[in-house]
Amino acid sequence: MPLIGTLDVSSQAASAPLVLAPNTEPWELPGAEHLQLMFEIDDSHMVDLLPPALHPTIPPTLLINVLHAPKSSVGQFTLAEVRIGCRSGGRPRAFLAQAYCDSAPAVTELRTRWGYPVTQAEVVLDPQHHQVLARVTLHGKLVLDCGLKGPEAINGGDIQYLPNMNLVRIMRNGAEAVRLLQVDADYAILKADRGRPTASVFVPEAWAVGGATPQWPVSASYATGTVTLPRVRYLANPSLRPLEAVEAV
Amino acid sequence: MKFGIFFEISVPRPWEAETEYQVYQNCLEQVRVADELGFDQVWAVEHHFLEEYSHCSAPEIFLTAAAMLTKQIRIGLGIVVCVPQINNPIKIAERTATMDLITGGRLEVGTGRSATWTELGGFGVDPDTTKKTWDEFVRILPKMWTQERFGYEGESFSMPQRAILPKPLQKPHPPMWVAVTSPGTEIDAADRGLGSLGLTFGGFAEQETKVAEYRRRIKYCNPVGSFVNEQVNTVNFLFCHPDNETGVKTGLRLAGTFNYMAEQLLAARQAYPTRSYPNLGLLPALRRESTAPGADGGAPEGTCIGNPERIIQVLKNWESVGVDRVNFLLNAVETVPQEEVLASLRLFASEVMPKFASTRPVVSAGAGAI
Repeated sequence: MPLIGTLDVSSQAASAPLVLAPNTEPWELPGAEHLQLMFEIDDSHMVDLLPPALHPTIPPTLLINVLHAPKSSVGQFTLAEVRIGCRSGGRPRAFLAQAYCDSAPAVTELRTRWGYPVTQAEVVLDPQHHQVLARVTLHGKLVLDCGLKGPEAINGGDIQYLPNMNLVRIMRNGAEAVRLLQVDADYAILKADRGRPTASVFVPEAWAVGGATPQWPVSASYATGTVTLPRVRYLANPSLRPLEAVEAV
Repeated sequence: MKFGIFFEISVPRPWEAETEYQVYQNCLEQVRVADELGFDQVWAVEHHFLEEYSHCSAPEIFLTAAAMLTKQIRIGLGIVVCVPQINNPIKIAERTATMDLITGGRLEVGTGRSATWTELGGFGVDPDTTKKTWDEFVRILPKMWTQERFGYEGESFSMPQRAILPKPLQKPHPPMWVAVTSPGTEIDAADRGLGSLGLTFGGFAEQETKVAEYRRRIKYCNPVGSFVNEQVNTVNFLFCHPDNETGVKTGLRLAGTFNYMAEQLLAARQAYPTRSYPNLGLLPALRRESTAPGADGGAPEGTCIGNPERIIQVLKNWESVGVDRVNFLLNAVETVPQEEVLASLRLFASEVMPKFASTRPVVSAGAGAI
């Protein structure tokens, strides 16, 4: 049977966001701009960045997602995520390793409602006509400088977005339990480009991905439209095998 | 209706020293038995890098060995990936002609373009180009087989005039097929006069629509080869057992395992935004639909698992929607023991096959011209 992850999440569990109500209301983010980059990573990281509830993709992949939301219930914010491509059972997913956001109120929303492992940092999405750039600066240090080069228009429906699997703590029978929370955002895309992905600066330690770095470029897309963070429907027990792990909320 | 067998050659972990050897030997034994039992075709895919799911990267070699073990069964190479970074079309023409010679004119040639980033990315292929290169390849292959010397200036491939040798035994050339996975490819097949090599497991309604459109369009085709190969092949799972419950249970395990392995693959569309791959290629949603338990909690309507009576009924339904041939996947990562696979084949041949013998002549297009 397929490979499964070997990441022991117990060390991360204590600091994982506590989500008290996974069935939170959807959060609509109109006019959002979204940069997505995909890279292959070294196969030495094929299984060690994922918990046993998830299968790695073959080849192993790393996704960089940067979302700028100009309007939201807590004002504008920009969110950067680094995720590891995976499968939950047979379903394509991405395990969120680390996220940064430039807005304290948005950090609170994302952590408490959807379990994003997100902390505040300077996050910039800089769309230009010949490229789209993104940067993350943490405590004055640049930890991500990436982008899309050579944009060409495509149909937004050609872009695939993978639902997140976020490591969270929830309450079960009066006690805390660790789960993966599936965040299956909805994308209503108005305009989209694709191009070549680049990552000139990537500090693995800042993104909780061991020594993994973006190694082989796969694809890049930049889209504008409405992104809606959903009501959560599924959880997974990270320590169980994939076919035994999934639970309905 | 005629029946064949179809190999992905999936190899389960852990990969010990002789695991691949044993799986290959099992597959060869299945081909030998299938030939003795009267199965009509054996197909083997070309896949690269697809861990566990398919270790069949050199199907022409596997099939040549299969041909040497058999006498009657037709040899289906397919699909061969028609992408220049993976296969030079000259080499395809040379290899297939050689296979046709040494199999005594038993070759069928399936064409396709790969559907995973795992494969396309591994060979550095731009996913945008694969449909175009496939279209070029299927137009030049028949000329390479039939013209004394061949020269060509194209988009993805060019060559000065040379004699591409040897030439196939079947005249004018072996029957050509195209793998039909993406919606609309059955139209590509019809418009070019190619056989439709269905590689999905959609239910009757889905297939009936596709077959009807294929039959309608092919009447007006502009054939790329020297003849029209109007045939519809589909793929199905096979597990035939005297006890229906046992057959369904084992068959569902086989189908479920195969689908689970397929869903682990990184489809081209999942990795790279492109119009060239309008869906996930290997169609996980369709596979799920057609292999999930049926309305009564038993076998799904179109799947050939269960006892002979049930399988006969399923195949009568496939026949009624216009399918000419069904190729069966017999195993997935060795989830069914070899002796049970062989017993299933034998039971199918003794109880099911006679119900379909000579019910509809199937044109073996190239062979008839030898």
